[in-house]
Amino acid sequence: MMEYITNFIYAYLSTIGFAVLFNVPKSSFIKSGFVGGLSWVIYIFTKNLSGSIVGATFVASLVIAIIGEIFAIIDKNPITVYIIPGIIPLVPGFGLYNTMRSIVDRRFDLAANHGTEALLISVSIAGALVIVLSINSYRRQRQRLKQ
Amino acid sequence: MVSVNRKKTLIMALYAGEIMLKSGAETYRVEDTITRLCKSRNFPYVEAYVTPTGIFVSVDSKGESQDEIVTYIKRIKSRGINLNKVAEVNNFSRRFVESNMPLDEAFATLKAIDNLKPFSQHVDALLGGGLSGAFFALLFGGNLPAFLGAFIAGSIVSYTLSDLAKTEFPPFLSNICGGSVAALVAIILSYISPLINVNLDVDIVITGAIMVMVPGVAITNAVRDSIAGDLVSGLARAAEAIIIATSIAVGVGFILKLWQIVLGGSLL
Repeated sequence: MMEYITNFIYAYLSTIGFAVLFNVPKSSFIKSGFVGGLSWVIYIFTKNLSGSIVGATFVASLVIAIIGEIFAIIDKNPITVYIIPGIIPLVPGFGLYNTMRSIVDRRFDLAANHGTEALLISVSIAGALVIVLSINSYRRQRQRLKQ
Repeated sequence: MVSVNRKKTLIMALYAGEIMLKSGAETYRVEDTITRLCKSRNFPYVEAYVTPTGIFVSVDSKGESQDEIVTYIKRIKSRGINLNKVAEVNNFSRRFVESNMPLDEAFATLKAIDNLKPFSQHVDALLGGGLSGAFFALLFGGNLPAFLGAFIAGSIVSYTLSDLAKTEFPPFLSNICGGSVAALVAIILSYISPLINVNLDVDIVITGAIMVMVPGVAITNAVRDSIAGDLVSGLARAAEAIIIATSIAVGVGFILKLWQIVLGGSLL
């Protein structure tokens, strides 16, 4: 339990750091940090449960998209404001760095491993986001047709 | 009179789209905004085609056979991330569509949004680069020295990048500089740390510091655009991400290799 609380705080603060870099509107800082922190905790929880990094990333990204969609409707902001800082802890920056370093060190087997994993993680983040966003825009379309 | 207004409306919509695209909005959002802005002022036919490097818009009005179809192309040369501007233009377009706002007022609003100042350099570097880098080091399993090291290295990298951006240094070279600065600071810290009896993990410090530059968002957006059917935008963003990742790796790799050759340091 303690592990989850500390990880939530770390992810929360690093997401706020990125929110500053990306110039998120000041009123949305706390919410963006919350999205980042919660998704990281869910990521760790799912990873411990299933042992699959890609699957855990997918579940965490689904949560980001759903919460981001809710915050976007409440605040009437574009959903990007919550999603982009929120996915930063999940984004495979470490994997990319490892890929490039393995190439520099001429260890191409390692590079292929790290690179494939980084690609799969990106695809699972984007896939989860697209699923939620498409469902939501479909829902809005249906509402407009009914009126 | 009518034709002047038409031109102005189109330019206004194009300006709104340009601000959004330059601030890192998604392709479909820019297309959607331009289409809505034009349609709200009685253009029955509006078609917008947006890629990360340019915007194409065509409008036509029904019934006036003497009027020809109007097309504008806007070239976009630089892209950054400033989500505040995206949110503001989004609010503006909602207000514009719902009200009867005159075009001059719309132009003034857009200009004010375009000139919105980002956070000051120090806030950016210390809070943005330092804080995010430092807490990333903790997320990757670093200890307290790695936390402090990543804070110092991340802040210095941010300062370097924003100084280089002011002089409009080429982006590829400035990412190489950022990567080398991150590696250099981490290596210097690793020589200082034994003097005060702490054990520093160079790898984690470098990773935390370069997190500021890593194109994770560009990669995710590339996949997202491709899945959504904007294939050209997806490929363009993927190319951008690969170029950024390569330049960071060149910077970091160069310094690490130099360290191995000159001082005999090793990581693996």
